Amino acid sequence: MGSTEVKDGLYYSKEHEYAKVEGDVVIIGITDHAQNALHEITFVEISGVGTTLKAGDECGLVESMKASSDIFTPLSGEIVEVNVALEDAPEIVNEDCYGKGWMFKLKPSNLDAELPGLMDAEAYKAFIESE
Amino acid sequence: MTQEKRGVSMSEKLERTQLYDWHKEHGDVIPFAGWEMPVRYSDIRDEHMAVRDGVGIFDTSHMSRFFVRGPQATEFLQRMTTNNVSKLEVNGGHYTTCLNEKGGIHDDLMLYRIGTDEYIWVTNAANGPKIKDHLMKHSKSFDVEVLDRSSEIAMIAVQGPKALGLLSKIARRDLSEYKRFTCNPVDIAGYDTYLCRTGYTGEDGAEVLVLNCPYTDEGKKRAIGFWEELLSQGTEFGIKPCGLGARDSTRLEAGLVLYGHELDENTSPIEARIPYAVKFKVEPHYIGFDTVKSHKEIGVKKTRIGFSMIERGIPREHYPILHNGQVIGETTSGGVSPILNNGIGLGYVPPDLLNTGDVIEIDIKGRHRKAKVIEWPFYDPQRYGATRTV
Repeated sequence: MGSTEVKDGLYYSKEHEYAKVEGDVVIIGITDHAQNALHEITFVEISGVGTTLKAGDECGLVESMKASSDIFTPLSGEIVEVNVALEDAPEIVNEDCYGKGWMFKLKPSNLDAELPGLMDAEAYKAFIESE
Repeated sequence: MTQEKRGVSMSEKLERTQLYDWHKEHGDVIPFAGWEMPVRYSDIRDEHMAVRDGVGIFDTSHMSRFFVRGPQATEFLQRMTTNNVSKLEVNGGHYTTCLNEKGGIHDDLMLYRIGTDEYIWVTNAANGPKIKDHLMKHSKSFDVEVLDRSSEIAMIAVQGPKALGLLSKIARRDLSEYKRFTCNPVDIAGYDTYLCRTGYTGEDGAEVLVLNCPYTDEGKKRAIGFWEELLSQGTEFGIKPCGLGARDSTRLEAGLVLYGHELDENTSPIEARIPYAVKFKVEPHYIGFDTVKSHKEIGVKKTRIGFSMIERGIPREHYPILHNGQVIGETTSGGVSPILNNGIGLGYVPPDLLNTGDVIEIDIKGRHRKAKVIEWPFYDPQRYGATRTV
């Protein structure tokens, strides 16, 4: 599988989503480990802007050449922006999952309580090694 | 994110083909139908396009190969299968099905006649054990012998518009003299093979049975030797080794059925719309004959359709199909067509309800997305596939 990139400063879920806190919003996407496992992503769809979600809710779909996977939000809040570039170029997730391949931005509703429930980079590295 | 689990549990004992060591070194190996097989070596899309534009090779040694021979071989096989066995010439092959007593499909297979009283039955990996039992049981009433030679023969599919060019180059003679749907013993670069001019991608090509490849160090070396010869000689033809991913995407794009998806014990060949596999002027009547005849003459309860997505979304198997807001059926296969760059699929609906061009909806995990009923193959047969004219 080659080397998997885990970025410091991000928060990670067991479903292989990451959350990057940036001011008032949280940027959410799938991890390098996840995009590697999926390979050749052909389709991404995220619930619409304005959707209110509870942590763990299903909120989108990623298709690869081989399989279909659900996306879950790691945090509660309201979707304020969806990465529309992925509609035409879903392969960006394979190329740059932590950068241009982000999936949606969330206005969190319970950040302080929920963030400690996610893993930091160290813990996530250990988690994917144990999986 | 949770990925849907596929294949069998790892605790189950998995089988390996003679080419396993090569796959493990160069590809991404996954469990499939009781076997450890490569899903891809590079990108599924690139492997798929190599088959459409040049040539791709697939290890299909996981399929079962039964040799049926004896004075009553033809009669026995006519009892077992739905196509007209007596019309099959020596060194010919045809696609056929094997039915259960209710007319459901027990197996779909290629049958090759290699002698007056000798045939090769090539079938789905997952159906191998079931069919072996079926053949052994029924062969007791006939003067025939059924031999499972799967483990001593490697099988490599060479597929694409340049497949015959590559094989001819290696054999140092023009192999296109062997027409499609023939099966002949041919020496290819010192390898004894049966060259079967068939395939499962929609493209021209061959399925090559490489003889004398038992699962020993020497046999494995021999199979890998043939495989690597194809790869090294195939560079000029744009060759790529292809895994199960491209095998599924090429067969789906050609509209070809897959056992366990479009075909099963509760589906007849008439419902599956593979009429060319079914004949009625045959003697003796095969198992399931009466049901299939009534399906043909009186009608069916369901029929297979193909569809292409109009709205965004990728269909997969077991998604509900809707028409005018009502669920009318279910998908059996789905995925992305690299040629159309669009979601395509196959499924079953009631007969006489839909026409080509009608708009249906596919329920993709709760999202209803429009699709259009279209005929297979999904690609333009003037530009791609064995029928291409350009």
